[in-house]
Parts: sequence; C-alpha cells; structure tokens
Amino acid sequence: MLRLILLSTAALAVLAVAILLGVAIGETRLSPTVVYQVLANQLAGAQYPVDPIDQGIVWNYRLARALVAASCGAGLAISGVILQSLLRNALAEPYLLGISAGASTGAVLVSVAGLGAGAISMTTGAFFGAVCAFALVALLAHAAGSGGLRNSAQIVLAGIAGSQLFNALTSLIITKSGSAEQARGIMFWLLGNLSGVRWGDTLLTAGVAVAGIAVCAWHARALDAFTFGSESAAALGVPVRRVQLVLLLVAALITAVMVSIVGAIGFVGLVIPHAARFMVGVRHRRLIPASALMGAVFLIAADVISRTLIPGQVLPIGVITALVGAPVFAGILLKGRGGRA
Amino acid sequence: MPIRRLAFSTLCAAMLAGAAFSASATEYPLQLHNCGHTLKFDKAPASVVTIGQAGTEMLYALGLGDKVAGTSLWFNAVQPRFKAVNDKVPRLADNDPSFESVIGKRPALVVSQFEWMVGKEGVVGTREQFHDLRIATYAMPSDCEGKNNLSGADGTRTAAYDVNALYKSVQQLAQIFDVEARGKALVDELRQRQAQAVAELKSSKLQNVSAALWFSSADLAIDPYMAGQKGVAGYMLQTLGLRNIVTSAEEWPTVGWETIAKANPSILIIARMDRRRFPADDYQKKLGFLKKDPVTQHMDAVKNNRIVIVDADALQGSIRMVDGMEQIAQAALRLQGAAR
Repeated sequence: MLRLILLSTAALAVLAVAILLGVAIGETRLSPTVVYQVLANQLAGAQYPVDPIDQGIVWNYRLARALVAASCGAGLAISGVILQSLLRNALAEPYLLGISAGASTGAVLVSVAGLGAGAISMTTGAFFGAVCAFALVALLAHAAGSGGLRNSAQIVLAGIAGSQLFNALTSLIITKSGSAEQARGIMFWLLGNLSGVRWGDTLLTAGVAVAGIAVCAWHARALDAFTFGSESAAALGVPVRRVQLVLLLVAALITAVMVSIVGAIGFVGLVIPHAARFMVGVRHRRLIPASALMGAVFLIAADVISRTLIPGQVLPIGVITALVGAPVFAGILLKGRGGRA
Repeated sequence: MPIRRLAFSTLCAAMLAGAAFSASATEYPLQLHNCGHTLKFDKAPASVVTIGQAGTEMLYALGLGDKVAGTSLWFNAVQPRFKAVNDKVPRLADNDPSFESVIGKRPALVVSQFEWMVGKEGVVGTREQFHDLRIATYAMPSDCEGKNNLSGADGTRTAAYDVNALYKSVQQLAQIFDVEARGKALVDELRQRQAQAVAELKSSKLQNVSAALWFSSADLAIDPYMAGQKGVAGYMLQTLGLRNIVTSAEEWPTVGWETIAKANPSILIIARMDRRRFPADDYQKKLGFLKKDPVTQHMDAVKNNRIVIVDADALQGSIRMVDGMEQIAQAALRLQGAAR
C-alpha cells in the first residue's frame, strides 16, 4: 500500500515536471522568472506585475496546451493498450479502427468541400467523421464474424477496409476542390497540431482521458485474462462479449475525441504500450497507469520539440512522434525477432 | 513593273513611318524568351486558353476577351468590369483543367499563371507536351523568376517578389497579341496608381511602422497564414514603407500567435474574402477572435483598433495588386487621421 502511494506520488511528480517544462519552453523565449510569476499570479493570487501578453501566453496558450498534450498522450496510449490486449496483436493501435481516416474525411469535408459553410469547425467535422468510420468498421467486423468477435483478424481487416475507404474519400475531396493552400492546411492539421487548443479543449480532453483511464483500470483483470485468447478469458469467468464491447467503445471514443481536437498523431498508441511493457511488465494493473504516464510525458516532449526545433516555425507533432516512434518501433521488431517465434 | 515597285516602296515607307511614330506594331516573326523556353510567333495567336485568373484578367484588361477560348483556375469572382466579357467565355474548370479539355479548344497559345499547372511537374501538363502539339505556352514570369517551384508547398521564392515581373507579363502578352499600345497604357496606369499610393503614405507620419498581414487560418485559433517577407503581400507591405514583423522567407508561412503577439505590430492587416471554407475566412470572425483571445486582445494593434481590412483578391501578383495597395494606404491614412 505504501509502495502504491509512493509510486503514485512519484508518477504525478514526473507529470508535473513535464508540464512545467512544457509551459516554460516554447516558440518565444520567456524567462523562468516570468513563468513563475504568472503561475503564482494565477494559482496563488499573487500580484506580480506581468505583461498581459506574457500572462496570456503562459497561462492560456502554453499551460492549456501542455495539459491537452498530456491528456492526448495518455488517452492514445491506453487506447493502444486496449487494442493490443483485446486483439492480441503487437501491431495494433487506435487508428486501426479507421478512426483517424474518418476524422480526416470529416475535417476535409468541412474545410475543403465547404460543408457547413464555415459554421462548423474542423473539430466537429472530424469527430463525426471518426464516429461514422468507426460505426462502419464495427458493423463490417460484426457482419464478417456473423454476430461475434471470434477472431481479431476480423476487426483488423474491417479496419483496413474502412481506413482505405475513408482515405480515398479524403483524397478525392482534396484533389477535386482543394487549392494548394487548403491542401497544406489540411496536411498540417492531419499530422497533428496543438496550436489552436485553449482551456475549453483542456477540460474535454482531460475529462475523457481520466474517464478512460478509470474504465481501463476497472477492467485490468479482464484485460489480463484476454492475454491467452477470448476462450480462455471466458473460461476464467470474464464476460467476454460485454468487456470487448465496452473497451472497444472506450478506445474508439477516446481516440475520436483526441483526433478531432489535435489531429492524427501517430505512433503514440503503437509504441508507448510496448515501451511501458518493457519497463513495468505485462500485468495491466501496472501497464495502464505506466502507459498513460509515458504517453503524457512523450507527447509534451514532442510538442515542445516541434515548436523549438526550427526557430520561427512550428512543425506538426505527428512528424516528431514518427521520427522518434519509427526507430523505436524498428527496435521492438528486431528485439522480438530473437524471442518467441 | 515600275509602278508596282513604286507602290511597294511607298507602302514600305508609309509602314516604316507609321512604325516610327507609333512604335507599337509588333514585328513578326516574334521571338520571346519566357521562363527557360524560346517562343516563336509568326502572327498574333488567333485564340488562347488561360490557366489562372491573373492571366485571364490581364488579357481582358488588354481588350483581348474575344480571343479567349476558355478559362480555368479561378480563385474568386471575376472583376465586375470584366463580367460582360467573361460571361461569353466558356469556363473549362474552376480548378485545374484536364490536358484534353485545354487542347480540345484548339488554342494557339496557353497562358499559365503557375509553374505547377504547366511546367516541369505541371498538373495539367509539361510545356513540351503542348509544344509537341504546336501549341505555344506562356508562363507568367512572376511565378518562375526568382522562384524555385520544385521545393516547398507553394514553391519557394529565392528572390523577393518583383513587381516588374507583372509589368513584363503585360508587356509581353501585349507584344504577342500585337496590342502594344494598350499594354503600355495598362503598365503606365498600374505604375502611376502604385506610386500615388506610396506617396500618400509617405506624406503621412506612418513611416517604419511595424505591420503583419493575416490571410486566414485552417481553424480559428490555430496558427494563422501570415504574409512572409518575399511574397507578393510582403512586397506590398515593404513598398508602402511598412515593416513586416514576420521574418520567414516563405510566401504564406504559418506563424504562431505567440510569436506575433510578442512582436506586437502597430498595424494588423486582415484579409476579407467571399470564400467560406475556413471559419477564419470571414473577417468578422477574425476580428472577433482578435478581441476575445486572451493573448491577442492585449496586442497594441487590437487594443487601439489599428486594424486594416483588405480584399484577399488584391493580395495576388496580378493587376489587382495595386487595388490592394490603394486599400491598405487609404485605410492606414484613415487610422492615422482618427488617431489625431
């Protein structure tokens, strides 16, 4: 029990440090004194005289962004854990369900095809696109398995079909009616972008992430049981169909919300669960919180790097996560080669 | 025989005299160097297809509307003064036309505004493809001179935009179509209006004032597209004597609001457009965002309402550019007048 408290405190401390770094480092240089003063003003009611622009930057831009990055990283990571455990596939990740493809179609319908004539934001369009795509994939998998989820291959293949369909729709819309400027704006958004997030988004993403982690943690034992397949899980007394349904829905919802707010940030859901497994083992009681923490810290770091790597220009986060994630992923593959067949 | 020779030499003399006085009849066969290709014309082209609104409106301004067999690549509605002419011309595509639709019109010449339309990696086709079919292609110099279109999403300007490229387009097209007098008149008009806008602003106290130009954003709160140093909009700011706070050399870079707020320009210029793709296209939404966002509302330009609104159409390297400069100059003068 004591160990649990110590570990939790340490984890929260690491998260707090990561968030602080995310607040202190950014596109423009702000001295640590200013950052401290702004935080003191807002959190402790101090009265330091700070330039209102600096105050706005630290509190409304950077802090909100760091919190959203943490929530998204955590959310995507545990979605990855869910999918890898349920589908028993080391390559599974949240976007397998066609969600990012659907989100991109929704976003493109709003911004390129002009659906909603400027009244709907890309976020809303992306969310509906993501939900539609997931619904389609789920229906397809359900129909392919004639009423059940016997085989994880069903979902994977249905997801591939759905993703391909929606990616093709996205391409169709862009090439038919997009200008170079629009295509660039879409690409930037699709690769992941935290520039537009404010406190409203923070509440949403943090809420979804925390709720998601709670649901996952509740089902930790069931997820452990799935390691040996759904039949073994049923034999161990786990209500297989219900757990699969709930967890897949949770993973889909988390991913849809995150993707529609910040775009499709890849590799977090794929690589972080593996890294976490490497550090804390495969028991989900530890794996879930560890993945959430590592995902949060990873995405904060990626956001900071994306803003500071090239001075004066902000890179899409997806580029950074891919640059880090791809070599790590290759490492995982190579390491697994020597192990079991 | 002698009478014929006499008549012939009289005719020649008359023509020479005429040419000497007007200096505006094109001598065919005409040879032009254009963006790495040599164009040869035996006579004025009978028909032309345009790819790109700038070329279309330039031809209309030169009074050549009846020679235009088809248009394509439109960014916004045609200028009202050309509407009657334009209504009679078939529109091949709102965006990029297909190669076959262009050659189906059997034009003698194709005028292309962008190299990424007709060029080495042209979406419609390469220049050689057209030349093989004996269709001449004219690429507007503003997109190929001082610009490398094989790198960067919109191409990267290696040299700052030069308005002389625009005048060159007008003059060369006028020469090709044997309407040099009209071409000269158009260039003179553009030059004079630009000089007037610059002079008006110079006479005011608004010198070396910092400015930033916000075109639009992919989503309302996301990093905006701002005018960079070397593009057309950057050129307009520089010529008017305003200091662009955006340092990027790209034409329309995305710059974070944090960076813009810290640089705190004295004047903010925002684009007004009819398009409603992004929420930020609506200039009212842009104003709303500036006033409500917790960081931008503290910017000097927003607090003191030093915001200039300019038409987006006028921010392109076309004959409309001088409209934009006039709008910016007049609005800036009004601001200064209000401040006194």
